[in-house]
Amino acid sequence: MNAIEVNQLTKIYKTSKKNIEVTALNNFSLIVKKGEIFGLLGPNGAGKTTLIKILLGIVFPTSGSATILGSPISDFRIKQKIGFLPENHKFPNYLTAEQTLKYFAQLSNVEIKNVGLQIDKLLELVKMTKWKKTKISKFSKGMMQRLGLAQAMMNNPELIFLDEPTDGVDPIGRKEIRDVLNDLKNSGTTIFLNSHLLSEVELVSDRVAIMNSGKLLKEGTVEDLTTSKESYIIETASNFDNNLLLESFDNISIKLDPANKLNVNVKDNLELNFVIDKIRKAGVNIKTISIQKHSLEELFMSLINDERRGEK
Amino acid sequence: MKNIYTISLLTFREALSKKIFLFFFSVSTFVILVFALLFGFVSAESFSGGFVNASTTSFDNSIANGIKMFIIYPLYAGGLFLSIFSVAGFIPTLLEKGNIDLILSKPVSRPQVILGKFFGGTFMVFSNIFYAIFMLWILIGIKFSVWEANFLLSAFTITLAFASIYSIIILVGILSKSSTFSLVISYMIFFIFSPILSSRDTIFAFIDSGFWKTLFEMLYYIIPQTSDLSTITTSFAVGNSVENFDSIIFSIVYIILILLGAIFIFRKKDY
Ligand SMILES: Nc1ncnc2c1ncn2[C@@H]1O[C@H](COP(=O)(O)OP(=O)(O)OP(=O)(O)O)[C@@H](O)[C@H]1O
Ligand SMILES: [Mg+2]
Repeated sequence: MNAIEVNQLTKIYKTSKKNIEVTALNNFSLIVKKGEIFGLLGPNGAGKTTLIKILLGIVFPTSGSATILGSPISDFRIKQKIGFLPENHKFPNYLTAEQTLKYFAQLSNVEIKNVGLQIDKLLELVKMTKWKKTKISKFSKGMMQRLGLAQAMMNNPELIFLDEPTDGVDPIGRKEIRDVLNDLKNSGTTIFLNSHLLSEVELVSDRVAIMNSGKLLKEGTVEDLTTSKESYIIETASNFDNNLLLESFDNISIKLDPANKLNVNVKDNLELNFVIDKIRKAGVNIKTISIQKHSLEELFMSLINDERRGEK
Repeated sequence: MKNIYTISLLTFREALSKKIFLFFFSVSTFVILVFALLFGFVSAESFSGGFVNASTTSFDNSIANGIKMFIIYPLYAGGLFLSIFSVAGFIPTLLEKGNIDLILSKPVSRPQVILGKFFGGTFMVFSNIFYAIFMLWILIGIKFSVWEANFLLSAFTITLAFASIYSIIILVGILSKSSTFSLVISYMIFFIFSPILSSRDTIFAFIDSGFWKTLFEMLYYIIPQTSDLSTITTSFAVGNSVENFDSIIFSIVYIILILLGAIFIFRKKDY
């Protein structure tokens, strides 16, 4: 059983005032396995939040189907096992941090053995113990976000949805949140993460998907998406006459960056060795050869840009 | 059932957090204390204002009734005014982005959310009104030895009047997401439409147009008849016999229908 199965979901929002239709999801399919941290990436308005909302029964799909933890999304009882941190969440502001957690624990309809202990544990985890008895109307954005995260964990969920969890959190806080997520994962929780903070997603996710305009553009492990087998970096020890060098490489694309690193794009191993031979023949010493890693950000940019060009 | 209970409880808490219910409670307490002091210092006979030796029991009775009316009217108008004011924001607050998402992500169904909100708010108002009436009933009982249980029933009819307006507030809140709008509609119903429609028989004497008559008839059944309920309430209060329970039954049916409508709309909405 997969944690999430999304089957050709389409969501068309109809705005009541004007007759404008927005296709937020377009035949979107996805599978999230149990126990992984899955990152969903996409620019603003891509449809990330819409997908989560459909999975949680907050928004209804126009067509298609989905299951969470093996149950169809129309079954509200399955949500006992689910945690959710919405983007820009609002808690009743007359409550304290402690009362907020209690409030949502009550709503999640789960017998929590010792609510008091659970609250203390979670507040400790998100570093909010100090503020236990403080009214949340006095909280900063980052504090709200931490409390929101604790809230999402109150019922010890099997699957947890986080919509921009690090929004408004400082760098140290982000690191702490990443640690929390890794702990969660190690305890067997499946985590579904929405973000446009690519570097962050890259750091925690096992698998990611990139979407834009309601469509899935690419999906895979971070490793798969960021390494490209045909691209190498050759670091040379000394300067050389790059004009001469570059002329002799026929069709192979080679770029030299200021740090004496050559970015080489080759078809296969043979071509790579051909390039190495040429460089050696020119009397240049090679220090290292490595597979080029694109950051997720570069991939993201190029995918989204391709898409946008395609639309025009 | 448990979910509805939980949400009612949380709604009750939300209501408690609003200063206005506290204000309501304080005013009731203040009035009760004033009566208690008054009863403590002044003998039952002095309420007669000089009449002596009239048949004491019937006399006590009418004084007791006077006091009851003195409390029932403000409680009905003022109490409901405050209650409506304080619950008008419940649904719009619930539907705020970032809040409704969270609520709906919990293992509760949408009908349960609405019913929980309804019962929580209604119970809050009921406890406030019952508190005032019950305390007064005790005081009057002790002072005049008039123990008419019917007086207590008026707490239920006042609550029923509240509940029928609250159901409209819920419906309008879901449709408009605006507490101001809900408030305006509720007050218009409570203070303008309902009193007018309640006296439609009188008005019919002045109009011949069939169209207007039908319109009035229709509105009468669309708009909660809080004014009819106020008549029953006063009857209960002063111990008059009540033979016609139509408006009570009508209100209950009305509330059920409006809530069903609200749930029907709420069930299919995206948030
Ligand atoms: N309730 C709604 N009614 C109409 N259109 C909506 C509604 N909610 C979202 N949309 C539209 O659907 C599209 C997808 O929105 P969504 O919130 O899912 O994007 P997102 O990927 O979460 O963006 P962000 O990164 O900014 O949070 C957007 O074009 C948005 O305008
Ligand atoms: Mg979003």
